[in-house]
Amino acid sequence: MKKGRIKVMLGNEACAEAAILAGCRFYGGYPITPATEILETLSRRLPLVDGLCMQFEDEIAALVAVVGASWGGTKAMTATSGPGFCLMQEGIGLAVAVEAPCVIVNVQRGGPCSGQSTSTAQGDLYQARYGSNGDYSLICLAPSDAQEMFDHTIKAFNLAERFRIPVIILSDEVVGHIREKVFIPETKDIKLVERKAPTCDPKDFIVFKPDENEIPLMPNFNTGYRTPVISQAKSLNGNRGNAKEADDNIRRIVRKIEDYMDEFADVQVYGDPKAETAFVTFGSVCRAARSAVDMGKEKGIALRSVEVKTVWPFPDKLVRNALAGAKRIVVAEMNLGMIQREVERVVRQPEIKIELFSKIGGIYPQPQEFLRFLEEKR
Amino acid sequence: MNPIGEKYLRKAFLPFIFCPGCGDGMIVQALARAVDELGVRDDLALTAGIGCSAWIAVYTHADVLKVLHGRAIPAAIGLKATKPSRKIVTITGDGDCLAIGGNHLLHACRRNIDMTVVMVNNQIYAMTGGQVAPSTPFTGKTQTTPYGNVEKKLDGCRVAIACGATFVSRWSTAHPKQLIKTLKKAISHKGFSYVEIISQCPVQTGRYLLGSGSPQFNLQWIKDHCVKQEDPAKWPEVEAQGNIPIGDFLQTEQPEFMEEVVKMNQRVKEAQAKGGDR
Amino acid sequence: MKGAEKIDIDRRYCKGCMLCKYVCPSDVYELGQERSDLDYLMPRVAKIENCKVCGLCELHCPDMALTVIGREKGKEKA
Repeated sequence: MKKGRIKVMLGNEACAEAAILAGCRFYGGYPITPATEILETLSRRLPLVDGLCMQFEDEIAALVAVVGASWGGTKAMTATSGPGFCLMQEGIGLAVAVEAPCVIVNVQRGGPCSGQSTSTAQGDLYQARYGSNGDYSLICLAPSDAQEMFDHTIKAFNLAERFRIPVIILSDEVVGHIREKVFIPETKDIKLVERKAPTCDPKDFIVFKPDENEIPLMPNFNTGYRTPVISQAKSLNGNRGNAKEADDNIRRIVRKIEDYMDEFADVQVYGDPKAETAFVTFGSVCRAARSAVDMGKEKGIALRSVEVKTVWPFPDKLVRNALAGAKRIVVAEMNLGMIQREVERVVRQPEIKIELFSKIGGIYPQPQEFLRFLEEKR
Repeated sequence: MNPIGEKYLRKAFLPFIFCPGCGDGMIVQALARAVDELGVRDDLALTAGIGCSAWIAVYTHADVLKVLHGRAIPAAIGLKATKPSRKIVTITGDGDCLAIGGNHLLHACRRNIDMTVVMVNNQIYAMTGGQVAPSTPFTGKTQTTPYGNVEKKLDGCRVAIACGATFVSRWSTAHPKQLIKTLKKAISHKGFSYVEIISQCPVQTGRYLLGSGSPQFNLQWIKDHCVKQEDPAKWPEVEAQGNIPIGDFLQTEQPEFMEEVVKMNQRVKEAQAKGGDR
Repeated sequence: MKGAEKIDIDRRYCKGCMLCKYVCPSDVYELGQERSDLDYLMPRVAKIENCKVCGLCELHCPDMALTVIGREKGKEKA
């Protein structure tokens, strides 16, 4: 039995605690419901570990400062919700282009625009992957409870350092604001990943030349490397690239993640793995689906719930395997059909219609509604 | 190449993409000389945004983070926060700093973060072909004000002073010796330094606003229209003549952001150790 | 006696802007016939004997392509 302690905390607080334990020492943020508790918690905790928590003038500055802090050698994070996430798309592109490890939490709320600040939703799924301009890839995790807010935050920092990318934690208001038990392992049991820095002579160092696994080494500023880091499509030595160099650069920053998905892709199955009817869920909806599966079991209905934990890059293989043998697939999400499209793309069996149990308006689905959906839409 | 260039330029990226006679290259040299005379090269970290002037930072052989349009200042704050001993110099242009980046300038001044903003003012958006900027004079004809600019121009030095910067100066590329002296003072100053440099852009400003694309004409224009006046109360007189006041306008000492952070962290840790809260 | 031994114009970087001629107080430069590697007409050092090693040309060159080498002590005026 792993040693540690159990604390009752808000999902947002769990995220903040995990960030500290992961080594985050710079947080740049802006208040926005329902993510503000992350900023507030870190404003209290970071000074105690010689870190800095800054409330910026807007979310744009917050994320760009996080990227600056990352190149300054520090693990850095920000958190926001829909409207702020829109402002951060520029900064996400920046983090991708300059290959700066960082973590961005989006505690989703009702949209579009100001939407419903205190209600839950899952409408930012595609924005998390495609919100910034141009071709790129990144990793996006979807926690479904306070424990996963904790665990996924540690994982996010590790993935950010491993792949030198922005990692998005796509939470939602239910997960951010729920208060429940969180198991916090002992610090020595928390495995952390650090970015790799060059050790060679600075004049031999080529800043964007890939090292192992297509990832270039990342020097800390002011350690003698005099690194040029620009936001344009670049050649290996950091200058603006010509067409071929830009092509190579863009393909590499996509490949460096998508060719290595086996390292981090995570899909879980709850219930009867051979059940003919399967739900597909992510984020907080996983929990309602689990209760629905349990309710179904009591009524003699075999159900399974496929829970997508790493939503981007979408884990095609794992989802296809998890849905093998299913004759009826119902995607349950709090939007008008987003992860449904990914499931359609991946399953491709014409005889199975990928059904959508959609809930918007900010009201969390009840387990009995899943069963009623199965009944009514037969 | 002159010896300062040998020492400070990122050779692999040469030649400069700047147009012939552009003031940006002169600013590369002025900054390099200032850094050299101060001996702070190893602590130097540069940030820049988008625009012709941003490349000043890239050609300088130091650690450089060139980010998005208008966001050079937040990037600099992230670098400063992670190692306060860094000497941060942010190179920005009149559009980058006063338009899209205006909000960030305002708050960085207010926080009095120990960094230097070098604002290269050519009164136009040059890189994109000569559009109007917040610094373009009233009635100026540019690519986006073909019938004349109907907006008044914004003075970055007034903004910096009003928002709490503790070192504010303006010089020009026609005054390289004074510029180098001021850059040295600005970088050494503990607090937020704002140094504006009126710089020639023969191709856009010269041709569209001033009537000639000749580098000599443009540098002479700057020399003729920059008048030393270090008392802000007397600026309106200079401006009424159609001139630009230059000089060292302000230098004061105020609590500096990172120092305050360190003090606060210390105070809070001590209070917590004693079983208190803050 | 003070004076310039040599003025080096780096043909790799000169863009022919002629600001050196413009700032020179001693009439050392004129527009030359040779083109730099970037295909601009370069300045020519016409009257080196006039050069007082003031360094203004070196300071103003937007491409840092000029080096004035003073005769005094054979050192470069930086």
